[in-house]
Amino acid sequence: MSTLKINNLSKTYANGVKALDNVNLELENGMFGLLGPNGAGKSSLMRTLATLQEADSGTATLDDIDILNQPAELRKVLGYLPQEFGVYPRITAEQLLTHLAVLKGITNAKERKELVKYLLDKVNLYDKRNKSVKGFSGGMKQRVGIAQALIGKPKLIIVDEPTAGLDPGERNRFYNLLADVGKEVIVILSTHIVDDVRELCTKMAIMNLGEIVYHGSPQTAIDELRSKVYQRIVSREELQNYANDYKIISNKMVGGQPLIHVFSESHPQNGFEQVTPNLEDVFFSKINTSNVLV
Amino acid sequence: MFKTFFISELKYTLKQPMVYIFMFIIGLLEFGATVSDNVQIGGAIGNVNINSPYTLTIHITIWCILALLMAAAFFNNAALRDHNNEFNEILFTTPLSKPGYFFGRFFGALFVSTLPILGAFIGLIIGYWLNLINDWVDPERFGPFYLKTFVNNYLLFILPNMFLAGTVIFAMANKWKSTVISFVGGLLIIVAYTVAGTFASDVDNETVAALTDMFAINTYSIETKYYTPIEKNTISPGFSGLLLYNRLIWVGVGLIILALSYFNFSFKQKNKKVKKEKTKASKTETVFALPKLNPSFNGATNWQQFKSFFHINFLSIVKSITFKILFLFCVIILIADLAGGFEYFGLQSYPVTYKLIDSINSNTNIFIIIIVIFFSGELIWRDRDHKINEVIDATAHTSLISMVAKTLSLVSIATILNIFFIGIGVLYQLINGYTRIEFDVYLLDFFYSNLPFFFVFGAITILIQVLASNKYIGYFVAVLILFGLNIILSVFDIYTNMMDIAVTPSIQYSDMNNFGPGLKGALWFNLYWCLFAVIGLLIAGALWNRGSKSSLLSRIKTARKEVPKSYRGLIIGSAIIWIAVAVFVYYNTQILNPYYSGDTQEQLAIDYEKTYSKYRNVASPKIIDAKYFIDIFPNERNILVKAELEMTNATNKPLDSIHIYGQEDWDMTLNIPNAKPVFKDSTYLFTIYKLTPALQPGEKLIAKLESNYITKGFTNGRGNTNIIKNGTFINNGSILPTMGYNEGLEINDKNTRKKYDLPEKVRTPELTSGVTELHMGNYLSGEQGDFINVETVISTSKDQTAIAPGSLTKQWEENDRQYFHYKIDTPSLNFYSFISADFEIAKRKWNGVDIEIYHDKKHTVNIDMMLDAVQRSLEYYTKNFGPYYHKQARIIEFPRYANFAQAFPGTMPYSESFGFITNLEDETENNVIDFVIAHEMAHQWWAHQVIGAEMQGGTMLSESFSQYSATMTMKGITENPMKMRDFLKYDHDRYLSGRSGERLKELPLYKVEDQSYIHYGKGSVVLYALQDYIGEEKVNNAMKSFLEEYKYNAPPYPSTHDFLRHLEPQVPDSLKYLVTDWFKEITLYDNRLKEATYKKLDNGKYQIKMDIESYKIKSDSLGNETRVGINDWVDVGFFMDDEEENLYEQKRVKFNKETSSITMELDSLPVKAAIDPRHLLIDRVYKDNIKKISHEE
Repeated sequence: MSTLKINNLSKTYANGVKALDNVNLELENGMFGLLGPNGAGKSSLMRTLATLQEADSGTATLDDIDILNQPAELRKVLGYLPQEFGVYPRITAEQLLTHLAVLKGITNAKERKELVKYLLDKVNLYDKRNKSVKGFSGGMKQRVGIAQALIGKPKLIIVDEPTAGLDPGERNRFYNLLADVGKEVIVILSTHIVDDVRELCTKMAIMNLGEIVYHGSPQTAIDELRSKVYQRIVSREELQNYANDYKIISNKMVGGQPLIHVFSESHPQNGFEQVTPNLEDVFFSKINTSNVLV
Repeated sequence: MFKTFFISELKYTLKQPMVYIFMFIIGLLEFGATVSDNVQIGGAIGNVNINSPYTLTIHITIWCILALLMAAAFFNNAALRDHNNEFNEILFTTPLSKPGYFFGRFFGALFVSTLPILGAFIGLIIGYWLNLINDWVDPERFGPFYLKTFVNNYLLFILPNMFLAGTVIFAMANKWKSTVISFVGGLLIIVAYTVAGTFASDVDNETVAALTDMFAINTYSIETKYYTPIEKNTISPGFSGLLLYNRLIWVGVGLIILALSYFNFSFKQKNKKVKKEKTKASKTETVFALPKLNPSFNGATNWQQFKSFFHINFLSIVKSITFKILFLFCVIILIADLAGGFEYFGLQSYPVTYKLIDSINSNTNIFIIIIVIFFSGELIWRDRDHKINEVIDATAHTSLISMVAKTLSLVSIATILNIFFIGIGVLYQLINGYTRIEFDVYLLDFFYSNLPFFFVFGAITILIQVLASNKYIGYFVAVLILFGLNIILSVFDIYTNMMDIAVTPSIQYSDMNNFGPGLKGALWFNLYWCLFAVIGLLIAGALWNRGSKSSLLSRIKTARKEVPKSYRGLIIGSAIIWIAVAVFVYYNTQILNPYYSGDTQEQLAIDYEKTYSKYRNVASPKIIDAKYFIDIFPNERNILVKAELEMTNATNKPLDSIHIYGQEDWDMTLNIPNAKPVFKDSTYLFTIYKLTPALQPGEKLIAKLESNYITKGFTNGRGNTNIIKNGTFINNGSILPTMGYNEGLEINDKNTRKKYDLPEKVRTPELTSGVTELHMGNYLSGEQGDFINVETVISTSKDQTAIAPGSLTKQWEENDRQYFHYKIDTPSLNFYSFISADFEIAKRKWNGVDIEIYHDKKHTVNIDMMLDAVQRSLEYYTKNFGPYYHKQARIIEFPRYANFAQAFPGTMPYSESFGFITNLEDETENNVIDFVIAHEMAHQWWAHQVIGAEMQGGTMLSESFSQYSATMTMKGITENPMKMRDFLKYDHDRYLSGRSGERLKELPLYKVEDQSYIHYGKGSVVLYALQDYIGEEKVNNAMKSFLEEYKYNAPPYPSTHDFLRHLEPQVPDSLKYLVTDWFKEITLYDNRLKEATYKKLDNGKYQIKMDIESYKIKSDSLGNETRVGINDWVDVGFFMDDEEENLYEQKRVKFNKETSSITMELDSLPVKAAIDPRHLLIDRVYKDNIKKISHEE
């Protein structure tokens, strides 16, 4: 059982943007979902944990590895899939994975060969192993990326927006794969897709503007909102009025009309009906604390 | 629509800084060249005006090449902007017109591409104006500006060149939609240009060269080849002749490319060809199991990681299109160069290994460097460009491993290429039937110079790219370091190779002396730079931008975390070794072997003249007898000399002091009886000895000299190439101190002198008739000695032969060394050499003279022919001029560090690089190797028996006469007179292009001031023509009687007046004008055959009618030409063949009108008619003297 501890981690970019604002987290083996809108600081946190970026202050440790000061040690037990994963031109999937396997310390040639084949098969690319990766579609490249993140014996796997560009079938495949691995290691899954977290994670955090605005299990979060979320279809013209009068969590179009969710301790009447909250409501209620129209 | 796109292209580009930056760069360089002599573009300009049409045009042609890479940016941008911004799909779906879009963009880019070069005009004009105020250079060096120069340069060079280059780049950009390919296209154009340039090396191919040069650079230099300074100052390039044809051809080519590209251009995206996937017949279902993994991180892992990185990097280079294109072109260039062979005056050299090495290095190194620079950027930025950097960076490897792998993959690519080129070289040798293949030489040369260079340069470019914030800045810095660093250093007056990255002393392989004196220094410098590169790599490994892009500063801060603990030790350890090596190199190159920087040298020369020119006329005694005891230690490269010099006061006044100058690098002690040093200046090694009592006129003294040359360590440069392990070659001038005022220390350059207020320097004293003080010295040994006796005991190592002037009287071995005792047989000029090498000796006896060729054992092929040439010379010269006074005639091979042959009394050192390795197998008649031998042999009469006084015309009496004598030995064995025309065309060319490049003033032959184009080129032509006009015997008689009057005589020495005195009686009155025209004035002919027609007569004969234009031209020293009335004898004749080999019916007729018509009756019908068919007269355009004969209408 490994433990990842993040204490008071902060990072401000040169342009003044606070990417990480006093982040504290403690994770153990299992899938951990990191939710947040674009620009929330998820990738900054991920990159910092993946030793690719410096923090201004704070600490991060994985068991006895001080991530910020012993990057080389952490890398030995790290699997990382960045948000944008590209490939070398004119190199086959097999060559690329073999290269990365060597970099991840798989020095035994036979083991390496087996491993690469296994992973290629797992991500459904075995048939295309001798093709230049350059010609792959976005989804296929992403699968190569997933395969490489699993190489070796990582204790910590960080995957940043892994399902972007995958069709639903591939997505399922990938989740199964992650879930397999996730039992024994820490997997941090960053995403802005709420469903991903709901389906996979037992623990999660929501980030906004560099801060952790929620940390716990998805179910607890949902439970907290139970019987406090109401919805109603309104007309567009009235939307602004509702925004002024209620704590709007979210609005989305349903059949051409805005459907708003509002947070309320008691039933607001006025045509609202109570809904069972879902993770999306949690997400929006956590990041939309000022309750403005988004 | 055209207008819209044209204007929008201009608007867009002119808003970008690029065009102004380029313009500024060119403007600044041109400005520099305008106001400073330190900035030279395309060579020094001498006495041509700084702003002359010629100079400006040459500059513009050079800027065109540079601007091409800039143009590549503009055209590529114009073609690809929409595509790269992914705006194309939006734009191309609008109803715009294809021609409007295509041509609008093209011509917009074309116009913008021409703008940077206009910076040159601006730089020149600003330079001119600012110079009026600041007086940086003498304002007299500017002439008038001509509007026509600017306009025509724009229309003839800038616009067409950018147009042509633009069509190619625009077409490539539209076709491949890749910036890299567009730039490669730009490079290819430059490459194609250099290939065309190789045609220009031979006189015969000039027209081809002029027309194939796509930028008309050669065309312009060929058209202006014989321009006099005046013409260069006044004539702007014009729309005529070859230049016009060239422009028409290439603009035409451009139009075709543009048209093809236009029709190929489409708004639609090309459907990419999709390779059909092979469907596998049977899909085997295999189940894969996750193996048990044992990731390990230790030394073995590092090694595996290194191998994997290396493999991936290496693959990415060799698979890239850029690499393939560069590689292919490199091979083409090399093969093109080799196909031309190693030509020298129409002869081919054997393909000895060092020639191939030179060819490989000069043709391919630049490509390898481009590959290294280009791929250093690719390898460093590739991960980031392809967005895989975060994955790679997050794996557990040390950055250093990746950096080393990148560097070594660059080095391996370079190595493989180099080995491949060596393979081509070997193949070339074998194809040519040359079997002495020296793999060891090829490989050692590679290990000594290219390999370390590639490693150092590769590592440094990697470091630069790591430090740079983007790829292009990295490229810029790498190019700057490679090409600009030594310029920058020289601006700061720094000349040490320790600062000039990857530069080492040069090595040059010689068959005689292997890698030569530079090798030791080169190896130490290689070590120094390789260690530097290692440190650079260690730093790159520590500062590698791992993860998100961050500033250099923050990378330095975090470097500590990224590297293992041992790393600091590694850096410190390497730095300590590097510093130790640096100290050693510094000690050797700066303390043991100090040198002066350029500025210091200039200042010293100026100070010398200002301080000591008061002694300019100080008299010195003359050496009358010399005894030498010389010990040469080839392996140590040391020479110990003891000499006894007998001197006399040859003046008519007592001498109370002697002014002595030592020789640099020689440790001299001089012991003069009754003399003591009263003044010493160690900077100039200058000592004044006071004689008490004074040396009376006619009184003698014997000075004892000890002079040692000790080689210490190694030098910053290649070092002394005369005192070497095999092939030491020094002359007495470097052993002996000089006496009197040392004019050699003065500054020669006219403009530098002016800058420092030094009086104008007289190049050579004026020719005077009668006997004057100046006739007391000769131009070779000055007033330091006349014809003297020399005796030498010389020793060398056991395996070598040492040679000194005169007969070998005794040879013995002592202390494991060889000793030789030589004594000169007849008093000779105080100008001789001492040589030691491992020689084989070929001997032949002729009339009591020992003909000896001392040569390297590898160079045996031409020895018999050389013996023949010596013998032939002896025969002709003794018959026509008088006896040979030495008992031996020696030709002695020396290493190729210099490429000449030289005549000392009875001995003629001859460089290994020509003659010994020239292929003469198919040569039945005259050839330049025989000629050079005949020339040096002729010096045994013309220079060593009679030598000109130290004044104008002196070299005519030795060099022109030797040229003539050698030409006559060739004429003696030449059956077809047309062969002589073939041979003399080089002399015509030498003279005409020489006078075009004259930096001071051209003089008539009899006043030649050591100007080689006059005494060799014109001398040959004039004397050969003279013997044709008045008869060989008459010329020889004149020379012989002149020789008899002066040979081996004590001063006064003769001048050209004295020779002309002997010549006059031999010239018939009807031809007296020749002496004036050819010797005393500068005369050229402008003959032209306007038309030649024939008519068959009733008697079966042919009547040929020739319409002739004929002018005689007199030129002044700057090239101002005036036509004078012609009243001269000129040959007319006919050729029976197109090749002009079969001369038929030649007749000498008097031309006395500028236009005339000649009619002749011939038995057969010739193919061509010619004025001056054997090219005796100097005519700037000889080609128009010959015409095909056509049927009269």
